[in-house]
Amino acid sequence: MQIDRERCTCCGECIAICPVSAIRLRKKDAAAGLKAQAVINRDECVECSACFRSNVCPEGAIQEEPLEWPRILRKAFSDPVYTHKGTDIPGRGTEEMKTNDVTGRFRDGFIGIGLEFGRPGVGARFRDAEKAIRKLLPLGVQLEPKNPLTQLIADPATGALQPEVLNEKVLSTIVEAIIPVERFPEVVAAVHAIAAEADTVISFGVISKVAPDGSVPAVKAMQAAGLTPSINGKVNVGLGRPLFPF
Amino acid sequence: MSHTLHRCGKPDDLNRDFVVFSMSAKTVNAMGSGPKMKRFFEILRKYPAVNFGDVKTGSRFNSDWQTIHDGYKDQSVAHYVFSDAAAVGDILKELKAADLGISVIVSGVFDTVATLCRDAGLPVHTVQFSGGVLGRTERLPPGPVLAITTMCGHGLVSANLVKKMATQVQKGEKSLSEAAAELAKPCMCGVFNTERAERLLREIN
Repeated sequence: MQIDRERCTCCGECIAICPVSAIRLRKKDAAAGLKAQAVINRDECVECSACFRSNVCPEGAIQEEPLEWPRILRKAFSDPVYTHKGTDIPGRGTEEMKTNDVTGRFRDGFIGIGLEFGRPGVGARFRDAEKAIRKLLPLGVQLEPKNPLTQLIADPATGALQPEVLNEKVLSTIVEAIIPVERFPEVVAAVHAIAAEADTVISFGVISKVAPDGSVPAVKAMQAAGLTPSINGKVNVGLGRPLFPF
Repeated sequence: MSHTLHRCGKPDDLNRDFVVFSMSAKTVNAMGSGPKMKRFFEILRKYPAVNFGDVKTGSRFNSDWQTIHDGYKDQSVAHYVFSDAAAVGDILKELKAADLGISVIVSGVFDTVATLCRDAGLPVHTVQFSGGVLGRTERLPPGPVLAITTMCGHGLVSANLVKKMATQVQKGEKSLSEAAAELAKPCMCGVFNTERAERLLREIN
């Protein structure tokens, strides 16, 4: 994002709209020949386009700019209107449990996890997500291949991401994986270690198919691992036609 | 894209916040699903909704129903937000009868949603829980502000905008409903619950 310095009147209306507080007002600096205006901290800006789409600027000074690799990743992981080239769906995750009644992605005996770095409202750099992938892979987790973060991995053996992406900041990025139920406790222990080192917040999501007897394996697994399952969340109500019996 | 997970707040408040949405599976039943998505959107229109939308065309607060409806394509995701559990129950029964064959997801308090599913004769097929927020939680805004910002799972509703709207309400420059509508605009999917935002803004003030 950029602000047209000729059009900006320094009214400050755009400041509050930015989810990562990347816009500030710069005072006039006569010695440097700079007028007072709103400026965007390009290192902090995640290219979500919230400021541009809001039409908050009465002068139309906020503009989108052409983005090159790797900066384009900021937009791909921050602006939900943008459709990922690798997943062909908008947003920064996948269909995960939302279509599980059709796809059978999560089956009996397995648990899905999602570690969303930067959510809520803080933002994250890919280097934190890379550290998590490096810690989780030795535990035998199966990363979701359709996840756009997985697609940035340069070395599948170690989980190393493409080095040029590590410092890019995004609103959030999700490590999505499937694990056997019995490995959940050690994965949770690793997640706590990952969180202790992370320079951001992590929203932790846990998925399971409801067992044939009506029990919810995710609840038992979370409680055994010392986690308190939320009272609210998402329910797939099984109206999708299954691709195969599972 | 767990955009309706991690909504936080007090139990009573969360129990008046339901998102009902539909999605096709890209590699299985997405082809030809556009008309089904439109049908889903038409069915839900009959019930008293707080918000609705699609990320590509916008929400009730930055677009209109017809534009959103007409924009549905094979890989669209249709969303509706309700405050009334009974309406969600009736919707589930009607969706079961419609038998569209595409996935339907309800976000809400699990015990309530499970009861609604049972009454509609539907299974609770797969669930997703929040295991909380970990890491640098000292960077998060206070409770009611966070409860508002987390209603946009894509993170487009900023804490500073919430504080600005709360201040404007306090000064009498905006009504609660006007402030809540402003907060809903950045959320492109239409999953932001403005009725809940009004209650929470009152709490901030």
